Amino acid sequence: MAAPGVYLHLPFCSAICPYCDFAVAVGDAARRRRFVDSLLGEIELVAHDPWRAGEGADPGKPAPGSEAADTIYLGGGTPSLLEPAALAELLAALGRRLDLPSRPWLALEANPEDATAERLAAWRRLGIDFLSLGVQSFDDDALAFLGRRHDGAEARRAVEAALAAGFPTVSLDLIYGLPGQSAEAWRAQLDLAAGLGPQHLSCYQLTVEPGTAFGVRRRRGQLSELPGEAQAELFRLTHERLAELGFAAYEVSNFAASPAHRSRHNRKYWSAAPYLGLGPSAHSFDGSRRWWNRRGLAQWQREVAAGRRPVAGEERLTAEQRALEELMLALRTPDGVGLAGFEQRHGVDLVAANAALCERLSTRGLLRIDGGRLWPTLAGLTVADGLAAEFELAAAGSAPMPRTA
Amino acid sequence: MKHIRNFCIIAHIDHGKSTLADRLIQRCGGVAEREFRDQILDSMELERERGITIKSNSVSLDYQAADGNRYQLNLIDTPGHVDFSHEVRRSLMSCEGALLLVDASQGVEAQTVANLYLALEYDLEVVPVINKIDLPAADVERVREEISEDLGLDPYEAILCSAKKGQGIDEVLEAIVRRLPPPQGDPEAPLQALIFDAQYDVYRGVVMLVRVRQGTLRPGQTLRLMHTGKEYEVEEVGLLRLKKVQRDALQAGAVGYVIAGIKTVRDIAIGDTITDSERPAAEPLPGYKEAKPVVFSSIYPVSTDDYEDLAKALDKLALNDAALTYEKDSSSALGFGFRCGFLGLLHLDVVQERLRREYDLSLILSAPSVRYEIELAGGELIEVDNPSLYPDPAQIEGSSEPYIKAAIMMPERYIGAVMELCRERRGENTTFHYLAVGRVELVSELPLAEVLFDFYDRLKSVTQGYGSFDYEMLDYRPSKLVKVDILINGDPVDALAQLVHEEKARARALHYCERLAETIPKQQFKIAIQGAIGGKIIARTTINAFRKDVTAKCYGGDITRKRKLLERQKEGKKRMKRVGAIEIPQSAFVAVLKTDTD
Repeated sequence: MAAPGVYLHLPFCSAICPYCDFAVAVGDAARRRRFVDSLLGEIELVAHDPWRAGEGADPGKPAPGSEAADTIYLGGGTPSLLEPAALAELLAALGRRLDLPSRPWLALEANPEDATAERLAAWRRLGIDFLSLGVQSFDDDALAFLGRRHDGAEARRAVEAALAAGFPTVSLDLIYGLPGQSAEAWRAQLDLAAGLGPQHLSCYQLTVEPGTAFGVRRRRGQLSELPGEAQAELFRLTHERLAELGFAAYEVSNFAASPAHRSRHNRKYWSAAPYLGLGPSAHSFDGSRRWWNRRGLAQWQREVAAGRRPVAGEERLTAEQRALEELMLALRTPDGVGLAGFEQRHGVDLVAANAALCERLSTRGLLRIDGGRLWPTLAGLTVADGLAAEFELAAAGSAPMPRTA
Repeated sequence: MKHIRNFCIIAHIDHGKSTLADRLIQRCGGVAEREFRDQILDSMELERERGITIKSNSVSLDYQAADGNRYQLNLIDTPGHVDFSHEVRRSLMSCEGALLLVDASQGVEAQTVANLYLALEYDLEVVPVINKIDLPAADVERVREEISEDLGLDPYEAILCSAKKGQGIDEVLEAIVRRLPPPQGDPEAPLQALIFDAQYDVYRGVVMLVRVRQGTLRPGQTLRLMHTGKEYEVEEVGLLRLKKVQRDALQAGAVGYVIAGIKTVRDIAIGDTITDSERPAAEPLPGYKEAKPVVFSSIYPVSTDDYEDLAKALDKLALNDAALTYEKDSSSALGFGFRCGFLGLLHLDVVQERLRREYDLSLILSAPSVRYEIELAGGELIEVDNPSLYPDPAQIEGSSEPYIKAAIMMPERYIGAVMELCRERRGENTTFHYLAVGRVELVSELPLAEVLFDFYDRLKSVTQGYGSFDYEMLDYRPSKLVKVDILINGDPVDALAQLVHEEKARARALHYCERLAETIPKQQFKIAIQGAIGGKIIARTTINAFRKDVTAKCYGGDITRKRKLLERQKEGKKRMKRVGAIEIPQSAFVAVLKTDTD
């Protein structure tokens, strides 16, 4: 099994974006400092046995993966809002307490307005390998609609400065499928982004979630999402245009100029690798059990202060659930599923158990079966969410438990 | 015998029959105050809820009349709907008189007239009663006029009452004693007792409700059912006073029950005559008619696991409902089920409601069909009520379908709309005549099949709720029948096939295609829905493939959430029926096959 990854959730933002449904918070420097102290506290709490959390923990179970975690992802929220010194403190604590290799792969999410020359240099010194800039758009109107605190010019400046600072990978987050957005307008954004020379792009279609400001506006009829047909067209356009521009998709929303620039950490999520999440709402997975921290900052903080791991819930995946998750995630990647490996892990010959379905899906141009893999086509990726539910996985269960040591 | 009165109450649905019965029972002390509950004769939950009487019931009342004598008043309840007209007939045949109940605000309606004609057919003395006079909308004068004009009865003989408020109840009771004749008959003559209803009792078997016309019925006798010829030994006889009250004998003129070790209601026929096997009557009482189902539908359990439960539930219902017929049926789309026969749409509705409620079954019903007569090329005549048994059209010489005589009453202003509705529904010989001022009765000979498909709804809608409807079976007439298949991506869905008149085929097929297109969710590929006669496509719709359903982000936490969504989706699929490559949700069948019969 792949080595685990560590995720730190740093929830603070200068303001809450109207589309965001992550666990986020707004707070002054003092509150942010208290948060960092609490997170250091959680790192101390998990130090001795990070994979033992919640009621279902197996006593004496060895850590998943034969190696220590080899990626750290600082996500949020807006991690760039924290002082570089605070980030350094957190990384040092992780290194000390989790017995990490001296040089794990490091990712940081940053907002353009925080990407000053001084901070970029500090992040370089921390050893950030993958700097993910929350650009979202270069268009001032779109940025205003999205409630961002930067404009197009600042976004452009930040990208150029980040590239000049010499990070191994600079990635831009872009949002598309805004109400009324035309294919031409979106293509122009893609061309502009790619033209700046980043090594990685994450292009997320706008998803209006209930419980967000956009969700409220939609309920009141003040926000109308792009129709499905137009969304599909923009999805296709994104993949086709970025391919032309030299960015290969490795997941429905993620594109890299070369495999070396892919997000090593995110790929763990998509390949059933173990991960340890710290901070409010963070999820952890040890290969068969998943647990998640309290989402509310105050509740999370209270648990940590009381010396308890701030776990809110957990689940142990059945063999069939493990198979379903792997299939669901693999179908979101153009590489699809390796059939032999899947059968070995889950005891299901996907193609044999779903012969008629595979036949149908390949006739309809959604899947391709070739070289021992099941590959979703671009049309297949467009409908990837529902695709996994079509498959019969009931034979899963006779499969051996995944190796954990 | 001169102190016995056998009577029934006839009324349109909702005109207050059960409430009046309640008051009569209460006034005669037929039930202790604490046992009293509304609509006491309507023992089924469904009857109370819908305000209709499905199973008739009877009760003997002890009444101290103004003339100083005690009378035994046998109230024979009647089902209030035309589907159950054979039961109504049996009940009427057991009486000498009837209270004809008319709602003071609604006035005379189609069923009131139909019921009156039935009562007159059996030579009953009819006493009109205007009920609900306490309502603000009550218009007694208008109703009197309708009683005179529409029914031809003396409006000033009508008794005014409010069963709800208990007003006029004594007047009703006195009229029963004074105006209805006592029963005739000779207790010493050869036995003739009419079975007007039967109930099933888990401990005693069949409890027959009878009216003794001639002779005497007593335990130990060997009775013979004159139409079936079967013989049983009488175990117990008695009166019905809400509970069974055992008696030594039932003499001519009496109404009561007989228990004779009969296992199921299928062993007897309502309307049959009981006689004494030692000294049989020369002939049975007249008017026996077999209750034949006229509406057919296949019932499938939503979950195939429930098939056994459905079978048991039907067996149980049939113990008490001799008119319900059922036999095994199967559909490649819906699995195993039963082809059931009903007396009419209401009967169908009641049976399916009871299966759902009392047996907690989720069901899918195929489109109701009538029974067609089909003449094959060789001259052989067959009956077909199930589209799957429809013969190869090349082998068919001709077909005919059942017609009904529909009587529709409505205020005059709707006559045009209703004539048009009847024309649309292939009505023949449509005529109308004026009743009381401003009211019209329209009579049309309609194919029964046309009434099965949202006719009630349309009638209610075109008359803004003022139209009332009643029908009787007429005869079979030549028809141009076709079988319409519904195809999903080229695969016929057997449960959706229908037999319809040629002229209606296209519209019906299109209706089905459109309903399906609304209810089948988009899938990863385009779905073609077609209606076809043989190889000829007559209607078509398509469901476009959904274009995109992939959410942008899938990070750590999202995985559990997203997997749960998928699991729900997979769970939902288990409740879908697969037709070829397409998963069709149950809701689509329900939406398509739904016919509103209320």
